[in-house]
Order: sequence, then C-alpha cells, then structure tokens
Amino acid sequence: MEVSQNSDRKFTLPVDSEHKATEFRLFSVATPHMRAFHLSWISFFSCFVSTFAAPPLLPIIRDNLNLTATDIGNAGIAAVSGAVFARVAMGTACDLFGPRLASSSLILLTAPAVFLSSIANSPAAFLMVRFFTGFSLATFVSTQFWMSSMFSPNVVGTANGLSGGWGNLGGGATQLIMPLVYSLIHTNIGSTKFTAWRIAFFIPALFQALSAYAIFFLGQDMPDGNYVRLEKSGEKHKDSFSQVFYHAITNYRGWILALTYGYCFGVELTIDNIIAQYFYDRFDVNLHTAGIIAASFGLANLFSRPGGGILSDLVGKRYGMRGRLWTLWVVQMIGGLLCLLLGKIGSLSGSVAVMLVFSVFVQAACGLTFGVVPFISRRSLGVISGMTGGGGNVGAVLTQVIFFRGSRYSTEEGISLMGVMIMCCTLLILLIYFPQWGGLFCGPRKGVTEEDYYLSEWTDAEKEQGFHKMSMKFSENSRRERGKKGASVPITSDKETPPTMV
Amino acid sequence: MEVPAGFLVVYLLFSCFVASSYGVYFSSLNETLIVTATPTQGQVLKAGEDQISVTWRFNQTYRAGTDSAYKTVKVKLCYAPISQKDRSWRKTVDLLKKDKTCPHKIVARPYTASNNSFTWTIERDIPSGVYFVRAFAFNAQDEQVAYGQTTNAHKSTNLFEIQAITGRHMSLDIASICFSAFSIVALAGFFYMEKRKAKGSQEK
Repeated sequence: MEVSQNSDRKFTLPVDSEHKATEFRLFSVATPHMRAFHLSWISFFSCFVSTFAAPPLLPIIRDNLNLTATDIGNAGIAAVSGAVFARVAMGTACDLFGPRLASSSLILLTAPAVFLSSIANSPAAFLMVRFFTGFSLATFVSTQFWMSSMFSPNVVGTANGLSGGWGNLGGGATQLIMPLVYSLIHTNIGSTKFTAWRIAFFIPALFQALSAYAIFFLGQDMPDGNYVRLEKSGEKHKDSFSQVFYHAITNYRGWILALTYGYCFGVELTIDNIIAQYFYDRFDVNLHTAGIIAASFGLANLFSRPGGGILSDLVGKRYGMRGRLWTLWVVQMIGGLLCLLLGKIGSLSGSVAVMLVFSVFVQAACGLTFGVVPFISRRSLGVISGMTGGGGNVGAVLTQVIFFRGSRYSTEEGISLMGVMIMCCTLLILLIYFPQWGGLFCGPRKGVTEEDYYLSEWTDAEKEQGFHKMSMKFSENSRRERGKKGASVPITSDKETPPTMV
Repeated sequence: MEVPAGFLVVYLLFSCFVASSYGVYFSSLNETLIVTATPTQGQVLKAGEDQISVTWRFNQTYRAGTDSAYKTVKVKLCYAPISQKDRSWRKTVDLLKKDKTCPHKIVARPYTASNNSFTWTIERDIPSGVYFVRAFAFNAQDEQVAYGQTTNAHKSTNLFEIQAITGRHMSLDIASICFSAFSIVALAGFFYMEKRKAKGSQEK
C-alpha cells in the first residue's frame, strides 16, 4: 500500500499535526485509529479471559488435581506475578519494536501456556501454566502505548480508559464464559467433569491466538505506518534507553503511584482470583451462580474504569492536578472501606450488593490513577506506565501472599484485612507533590512552571540538539492542570527563556 | 449500577448479620446404626472401575423403639481428616447443614432395621483422597436423627483410598501440543514476513 506525502494522506477521522485522531468514534473501525482501538481492547480482553479462566472452574480443578488451599493460593500468586516485570519490559519492547509486533508476539508466546493447561496433571503443573499465562497481562502497557500513539491528548484519556477498562472486563467475563462452556461440554456433550474443564480451556486459548493474528495482519503501529518502515526512512527518532529508564526510576511520584495502583488494580486482580470460590464455599451457591456473581465484579469495568478516567478529566478541568489527586485519594479510600465491609457481611444478598459498589469504586480508582500517570514524566512516559502497571501486579502478589494463601486466614478475614491495607497504602498519595501545581495539602511553589518540571529531564546537550521539543509542546498543553484558578498565573520562569518552537 | 450506596449498605446490614444457626448438630446424634463396607484399611480403589459394598443395620443394643422415627437412610462417602487438611471446602462443622465432610451420595433407601446392603461402583467424578463411609437416618421432616460409620469416633481406623481418573485423553494431549507448536511457528513466520517487508521498503 503506497503512502505518499503525509499531507496527502486521507484519514477518516480528523487528525492533529502528528496525525493522531482528535475525535473518538466508538462504533467506527476506520483504519488506522479506531481499528487500533478495537484490536487492542479485544486482544487485552482475551488475555484477561485466559489468565482468569481457572478461578471459576477451581471447584472442579481442585478435585481433579488434588490441590490444597496453599496450592491454589500459590497458583493465584503465580498468575499475577509474571506480569510484574513483563509490564516494564513491554514498555521497552514497544519503544523498540512498536506495539503491534510487541503485543502480538507476547500473546502468541503465551497462548501455548493456555493450550497446555488442558493437560496439567499436578499442583506443580497447574502453577506453571498459570504463571506463564499471566505474562500476557503485560499487553496492558502495549494497549496504553498504542492508544497514546494513535490519539491526541484531548481524547487519549478516553481511549486509554476505555481500552484499559474493556480489557479488564475479560476478568469478569471469563467467570461467566468458562462455567458456561464447561457446562455445555459436561452436560450437552457428556464428558465427565474432569475432562470437561480441560476441553473448556481450548476456548480462551483459541480466542487469544486469533486476536494475535488479527493484530499482526490488521494493525499498524502509528498513524503513518509501522515502526520498521518509519525508522528506516528516518521519520522517527530513537531516544536513549538508559536516559529514559533513569528519569523514570528517579521520579518518586512514579513509585508512589505504582504502590497505590497495586491497591486498586492489584486488589481487582486478587478478587478476580478468589471471589468465585468465596461465594461457592461460603454461601453454598452452585458453580454457575458463583460464576455470575464473580463476573458482575469484573463486568463493572464496562463503565467504572472509563468513568474514573472521565471523572479525572472533569475534575482536572476545574481544579487541576490537585483536584485529580484529591478525587483519586477519596475514591480509593472509600474502596478500601467497602472491601473491609465486604468480608464482614454474612448474607448472600448483602455480600453481592457491597461487592458491586466496591467494584465501582476500586475500578474507578484505576481509571483515576491513569489520569495522573501521563503527567509524571513526558520523556519516560512508557517506562512510568510500565512501572505503574507492574506495581498493580505487585499489589496482587502481596495481597494474595499475605491474606489468601493456605489456611492462616479464612477468606472473609482476608478480604477485610485487605480493605485495611488498601486504606493504609492509599495514604501515600498525600506525599505526591508537583512543584508547578501543588499536592493534596500544599499549593504550587511560586515561579515554578511546567517547562521547569518537564525540561529538567533533558540535559543541555540534548536540548541543543532539539530532542526536547515534544516536552516543550507537552508543557504548554499541560498548563490546563493548574485548574481554572491557576490559569491566570504568569508563565515566565526565572531561568532563561527556552528556545522558541517551530 | 449506580445505587445510593449509603442507604443500601445500611439497609442490607440489618438483614445480613443474621446467620441462621438452627438445625441439627452432629454431636447431638447417636451412633445407632452399624455400617460396614467392603474396602479394608489402606486399600486403594479406582474411581469408575472398583466397587464398594455397604451394609447397614440398627444396633440392637439400643432400646427398642429408638428407631421409630427413622424413615430414610442416606449412605455417603466421607473425607478422612488427612484429605480435609488445608482444604477448607471439605471442613467438618458440627452444624450439619454447613458440614462439608460427606459430599458424595452413595445411596438413599427407606429405613429397615436389618438386611440392608448396596453395591456401588465408584463414580468417575470422585476425587483422589482417603475416605470412610457414613450413613444418616432421617425422620419424616428430612432431618438427621441418627448415624453410623465405618470408622471410629476419631476417624482414624478403617480408612481406604480412592484414586481418581485423570480426565486426560490422548486426543486432548495431541491437540494441545499441536496448537501450541503452531502458535510458535506462526510467530516465527510473522517475524520472517516483517523482515522481508522491511528489506523490500529499503530497496525501494
């Protein structure tokens, strides 16, 4: 397909100077923007379906493989621990190879783990397949990266929130899909229980593999084409990996958000792992019903995570970054309180109701977190996103190790204690401070501008070569984070005026 | 689903701490039935293949008339303590309706004082574990009123083992491995295609 001069290229959606779409049309599949959106959320959804395919069928699997509560807990931890480093690595891979190749490769590499789940025969094998399947959750980073490459800042929050939320939906959908597929195979085809669940695993495996093929053949990295072609023609500049990495890990705000994301998203992953078994065992519902209840937790992602992102943008417009931080803190605190309550309730209907409200708050907190992440760093956006995403999985590992492994705490005690831990860790948000905008309790420092903050990531030598231009553009755009009150504050800084932008 | 969270939670809190604690307790039952089963101590049986023969009768040393309320007998396969360890979904609880010790039904029969027996082929969905057999006598209101079991009060004697089926089949194994291999081969193919495309655009 010939691509002539950039200015001649016709896009279905209106685009900005980087050819990123400035509008988001949900029901369109126009190349390349909306097609990239649909490919990315569907493939991320399939990875979630595969990673959490085992939990709703655990009552059958635990009898077949003779698992103890410790085995089940370890496998649950393994399922979310692989992605801790995979998410950070994925950010790098997207930089080097582009999101299309990076995500389709990872998805195809982890598909065998899902296929091989069908022949697992021992607790050790079960742990291994869950561990390797869990690596696929790193597609979160490629999803967010791809959306940031395709969509302009005014709609990127919506694109990111929807693709992230609808991908997470897979964790809920799988609690419905797997018991349904299982009962179709067990009842209608007539296989015994211990064979039916094995056959059932082929469904998520095939779905995952197919989505990888779709990405490879139908997707492209950037509005103008794929990385390989763009780099060879010189249109794309490669940044230094060590510098990018250094500026990410030395920014304390990235570490704080990584931890707090562990207590909204990580908690969401933990609940995906334990909730079906919890309802099945504590309230004596059947497998099908436990699956439906568990599914409703994850299905709230349809609107709650995107809602969190949209709320962050709304609050940011009026109150700036301080508003975003306050909203995140309040919503996540309430989530922790509801989690504490969930473990204390002894009736089925009460539990379901509290769980539903809890799901909205905890998922909205995820969306709100990623309303703040894009502003922590411009140069190292990819690695910061990867760190935060990885932190989410660390939270899932921590909570499962401490509260849901073996028989130390009953599941309901674990849930309540997890609520307490959410509230404690969320307090760290109080420590986040942006000199140009302020923090929860302190206002901005006088005279500090957005340029001071974002350009401090570049050395003078790099600035001379003009590598920092995109940070300049971003600094101007991020002026909105001062909120309505701060918009009138003068924007001159004490340092020499930066070179003018072309 | 936007609900007024505060109101809903408070309302449901009223109804939710009510945990029903009425029902029959195991400790209140007498062991008035004598139950025997064919597996011997430590014997290993295969699910789906081997059989268990159970016999049960009323223990005549109890006063005559004790069994007047008994209407039905349900014989169950129960987990021994070793198979309950670290598996809270098989926990023994005194309140019988919450008890998970005996989930597998062998047979249900109307009650007669003697001459009861049943031969059961172990079903294919019985998991691997160590077991014993227990029979409950039910009254007309379908409540447990008595029991008997093949093991002692500590559940330490006369336990037998059952080995479950794996659920695996040769065809499943082959399909699984083939699809996995195909995924890897397809990936290699993708990289090859990408390389060729890149070379092609460079030569242009």
